[in-house]
Order: sequence, then C-alpha cells, then structure tokens
Amino acid sequence: MVLSRQEILDRMEKFKVDEEQNLVITPLLFKDKNDIFDADSVDLRLGCHFLLPKTLDQPYFSPDRSSATMLHTRVHVPLGQFLVVPAHQTILGATLEFIKLPSDVSGQVLTKSSVARTFIVVETAPWIHPRYRGCLTLEIANVSNTPVLLYPGRLICQLVLMHIAPANVLKGSDKETQPSDVRFDPNYFGPVYPEAPKFRDPQDDLLRIGQTNVAQIRRIRLKHSGKGWRERSDYP
Amino acid sequence: MSNGLAGLVHDAAVLHRFVDFLEEYCKEQKRSQSYVDASGLFFDYVEKLAQGIKRMLAKEIDRAARFPNRLPLLRRQFLTLKYYLRLLHALLKPAADAHTLTIPAPLIDLASEQIQRVDSMRNSKIVILLTPEFMYFQEPHTRIKEQATIVESFVPDAIFPSQLGFIELPYSQGPSFFTNLAIYHEIGHFVFEELTRMAHPGVQALRSATNSSLKKIFHGRQIFAIVRRIVDDWIQEIFCDLFAIRLMGPAFSFALVEILGMLGFLSRKAAVKFSPTHPASACRFAEHVNMLEEDSWWNAISDIHADQKDLLKRLSDIPRTSYRFYVDDNTLGSQSLVEAFVDFVIPAIRKLVREITPSPARAVKRFQEARQGIEDCLRAGVIPHSPSKNVDPISIINSSFCFCLTSLSDVIEKFEGHAGTSDVTKQSLWTKRLEMWTMKAVEDSQILQRFRTAQSHGLI
Repeated sequence: MVLSRQEILDRMEKFKVDEEQNLVITPLLFKDKNDIFDADSVDLRLGCHFLLPKTLDQPYFSPDRSSATMLHTRVHVPLGQFLVVPAHQTILGATLEFIKLPSDVSGQVLTKSSVARTFIVVETAPWIHPRYRGCLTLEIANVSNTPVLLYPGRLICQLVLMHIAPANVLKGSDKETQPSDVRFDPNYFGPVYPEAPKFRDPQDDLLRIGQTNVAQIRRIRLKHSGKGWRERSDYP
Repeated sequence: MSNGLAGLVHDAAVLHRFVDFLEEYCKEQKRSQSYVDASGLFFDYVEKLAQGIKRMLAKEIDRAARFPNRLPLLRRQFLTLKYYLRLLHALLKPAADAHTLTIPAPLIDLASEQIQRVDSMRNSKIVILLTPEFMYFQEPHTRIKEQATIVESFVPDAIFPSQLGFIELPYSQGPSFFTNLAIYHEIGHFVFEELTRMAHPGVQALRSATNSSLKKIFHGRQIFAIVRRIVDDWIQEIFCDLFAIRLMGPAFSFALVEILGMLGFLSRKAAVKFSPTHPASACRFAEHVNMLEEDSWWNAISDIHADQKDLLKRLSDIPRTSYRFYVDDNTLGSQSLVEAFVDFVIPAIRKLVREITPSPARAVKRFQEARQGIEDCLRAGVIPHSPSKNVDPISIINSSFCFCLTSLSDVIEKFEGHAGTSDVTKQSLWTKRLEMWTMKAVEDSQILQRFRTAQSHGLI
C-alpha cells in the first residue's frame, strides 16, 4: 500500500529519529506543502554533485573492482549554476535531500512528469530498500536530441513510499523475518554524493556459483627487441 | 629604434606573454571548476590586471618610442610589475588547486560569513590555497597589498579586492572536516594583520600595554627590540587561538589538540617550552580553557568524556612556573619575559579578542538545546537535522565533533557489529562518514538559512 501524504508527514514528525517507523527527508524547502507533497509522493531536488563519464583509454568497460574510479569524473555545480547534459549522454547525480527509510517501508524513485517530458530520464534502478540512509544516487539520461540544462536545487524526481508486508505474513519460513533483519549494505551506507558502482572482480563473483574458469581481457605492451615485437614482461 | 628601446620592447614582450598566460590560466580554472567566492574574486582581479598590463605595455612602448626620456621610468615600472607578478604567481596555482571538490567549501563559507561579523572586517573574504606542507598557514598579505597599490598607480584597470586574505590548507586534509577547523586560527592571523594595517585602536592599546610591561624589565634599546619581536609572535598565536575559540567554540580546541598531537608537541616536556616563535602549548591550552570557561562553553561540555578534553585540561593545569623559554633546543632564555607575557600581555590580548568578536552566549545556548538531537541523528546514521527548525552550523560542528570523539564506536557497533569497533579500516571509514554528514548538515543549514532569509524578505 502506498503511503499517503499524511502518513509521510506523520512518520517524519511524530516519531523520533531513532525509532524504526521514523522517516527522514532533509532539507525540506517549501513555502506551501503542496509545493513538494502530492497525495501519495514527495518531490525531491537535484543535488550539487555529479559524476560525469570519463573518456576511457580502452575500447570497453568491464564492471570490476577498479570501475569505481575509472568510469567517472567528479564535478561540483553550486546552487545557482547549471550543468549541461549533452544529447544522448548519461550522468550520475544525487538528491539534495538525505533520506532515511523506516524499517517497514520501501521506496521508489520516479522521474517527475514535467522533467520526463523534456526527455530527461531519471533512474533505471529506482527501488530503495527499507532502512536505507543517504542521498539517493540518480542515474540521469538525456535521451533527447538536444543538450539540456540541469540546475541543482530544482525538483527532479518523486519518491513514492510503500508499506512492506508485515512480519507475520512471512511466518512459515525457517525463521520469522522481522524488520530489524533487513541488513544494511555497508557499501552504500549514508552517501551524501552520487556513488560510483562498486563491483567485485567478475572471477570472484563467478566463483560463488562454482565457475573456476573465467575469460579476461588483458592489456599488453609490445617492445621491439631487434628480432621483432615481443610482449613486455614488466608491464602490469 | 634605439638599442635601449629594443631591449625594452623585448622585456615588454616577455611580460606580455607572462600575463597572457596568467589571464588564460584564470579563465580556464573558472571554466573547469567551482570555487568559493573569494577565489573567484582573486581570479577576476588577476584577469583584469593581466588585461590592464597588456594595454599599458602597448601604450607605453609606443610613447617611449616617441619620447625616449620615458625609458628609465618604464624600466622601473617593469621591475615593479615583475616583482608583483612573481608574488601573484606563487598564489595562483595553489588557489586554482583549491576548488570546491578539494576543500571543505561549506566550512570556508561559514568562516567567511563569521569574520564579516568581526569588528572592522565587514568586507573580508578568504581565498583558500592548497599547500604541500603538512601545516596550516596564513599567507601574509600586507606586502601584496602594498605592491598592488603601487601597481595601481600605473595600471589603474584592476583594483585589488579589499580585505582579501589567503589561508593555506595541507592538500591531504582538504576533504576532511574536523582538522580543518584549524583554519580559524589562521583566519585570526589574517584579522590581526588587517587590524594592525588599519591601526585599530584595540591593537594599538595592546601594543602600548605590551611595551610598558616589557620596558619595566628590558632597558637596552637593542634587547628591547629583540624581545619585542619575540613577544609579537607570541601575541599573535594567543590572539589567534582565542579568536578561533570565540568564533568556533571547543571544537577548535579539540582540532588543535589532534593536530599538535600528530606533530608531537604535546608531551609534558615539549608542552612547557616557549620557542622564539610560539608560546608553550600548555600556556596556549590554559588560555583555551580559560576562555571556554568564561564563555560558558566548558560548562556546556562538562559531561563529555573524551581523551582530547582530558588532555586539554591536564595541559592547562600545568603551573605557570613550569613554563620555560628556550632560545634554541638547548639554550634557556629569559624567564622574566615569560612571566611578563603571562601576567601582563595575555590579559590585554583577551580584552582585545572580546572587544572585536561577537559574544558566543547565544551559540552556547543553541548548542545546549540542539546537542541531544544532533547526537541522536548521528547515532541513527542520519545527518544532523531537526524537522521543526534550522539547526545552526556551530551547534552542528561542536556536537558532531564531541560525538565523534566519544561515541564513534557506538555507531560502528550498531551498524557493523561489535567486531567493527576494533577494526582500523572501519574506524577510519566511519570517521569519514561522520565528517561527510557534518559537512552536509552545515551546507543544508546554510541553504535553509538563505531560504528563510528570502522568505522573510518576501522574495518567496
């Protein structure tokens, strides 16, 4: 069931921050509640930090341990400035608001309809788990044929919140699941800037399913030794 | 064209290339990065200066060709320009490195806003520089301003921004938050230099009090001059510490304890040593505690049990009779100089600091009201905030730093389990997280403040 505006407000105001039912969305900037609250959602603003794709020095991208640093360049755009997203380009941004979800609530981030009509698409992995804390990383794609300006501080997406099934529904499994059993992902805990993806190396992931033979592309450097080109042994 | 003129044209061309580079460099930095306001002002100034110099070079060389008697004057002006550009050159690259991704920009914005509330510092702004040294510095600016004034007489296009200060941050500390509170001490140096430059009555009074107390002990003219120079340095250090405490509160003292501890200045033996440039750490911390007590901060943090606070108290309790002045590592200096400084000069410094800085009484009260809420937020893994009101940045910083010193392991245990509390990597990661949350909370508080101000002015 989707949380109504009143329940969202109640959870923000009536519960203390250390209570499981408490919801945090901060900072909230509005003159009138209608500015950001709909009957069933809250609008969120674009933050000031971005990760822009780097031009790679190799013809492919392999999601592995090194990808957190090799894929993006960090950029700060203060309030009042804008960022140009070229046509058909993708970037990572983050919400200005820091979110804490209650233990019995999941969330979904959707592009604001007015933004979507400029062919800016926010989020392709929009699900937020209960007890999540942090600013939300937004995958932003300009799928239009023209560059689009993004202003930090403007409303960009909406957060829809939903109750998860109560614990007693899960009875019958080996152990009754409680909201407190929802684990924190230490990799993505409490970010305030957009987060680059964090991967393990593919061979480590595949070993978990018993695969012991994994293909890999290796970069080599050649050296001419007088008798022809040879692979350099000292090249990492 | 005479030989003299040919040489001058060559010189002018070299200068032209140099300033052309500086102009392009400034433009490039502004295009590619974001900076705090003061850095932007500094780049604008250098750009305008470069354009002005290029115009001046073209015009003056043309005039010199027609009036050869102008050549000596032009040569002197070129020398002045070269010297001044060398000073600016040394500042430009460290300022360019200090963009908003490499410095704690919300803290710099907060500090800039606070010093504008200090007596006679209404227009002051701080340019941040990143230094390779592992220490915080203030770049003395009086010489730069003097040169800027001379240059303005023949390149009138660019006016050096009034009350612009330069503070250096170690590049490795840029992204951290709490240790960077040390910049408040360096800002104190900037303020002291500005007040001295404008002959502020409070600084004049401090100078007279110092002179009269030293003259009673040191009679020879030469010895007095030497002693005076040493005491001037001591005065500045104590002034800057007290200035920082008045603006930031106990968080500054904790940050200084961390930094001096890292540099090895806090052993009992080192802590009582006055050097020719610095008063003993014990003396400095005695003044910290004294100021914190008088401003009611000490009482407000009475329930905080942190090693840093205990150390602060232990050092401040060292009797003044233990202080020793060492001229170098092995040579003892005059004990009566230390006594005169502690008994007569320090009270005059306290008085000056109180005169020029706003009272922290409201900040202490707000801290006491907000602290529990801020700690609850951090303990719950949430950035400090309040659903009902805007929490002020000084409360956020002091409460978060106290929490970090006393309860970091609680929050690690809550989210990572008990094993995490003795894991160095996790301690480091969680300290970084708390610092990020604190910085974001300060930034949010500034955004909310601007929002409320706009609302109260009817703009929204």
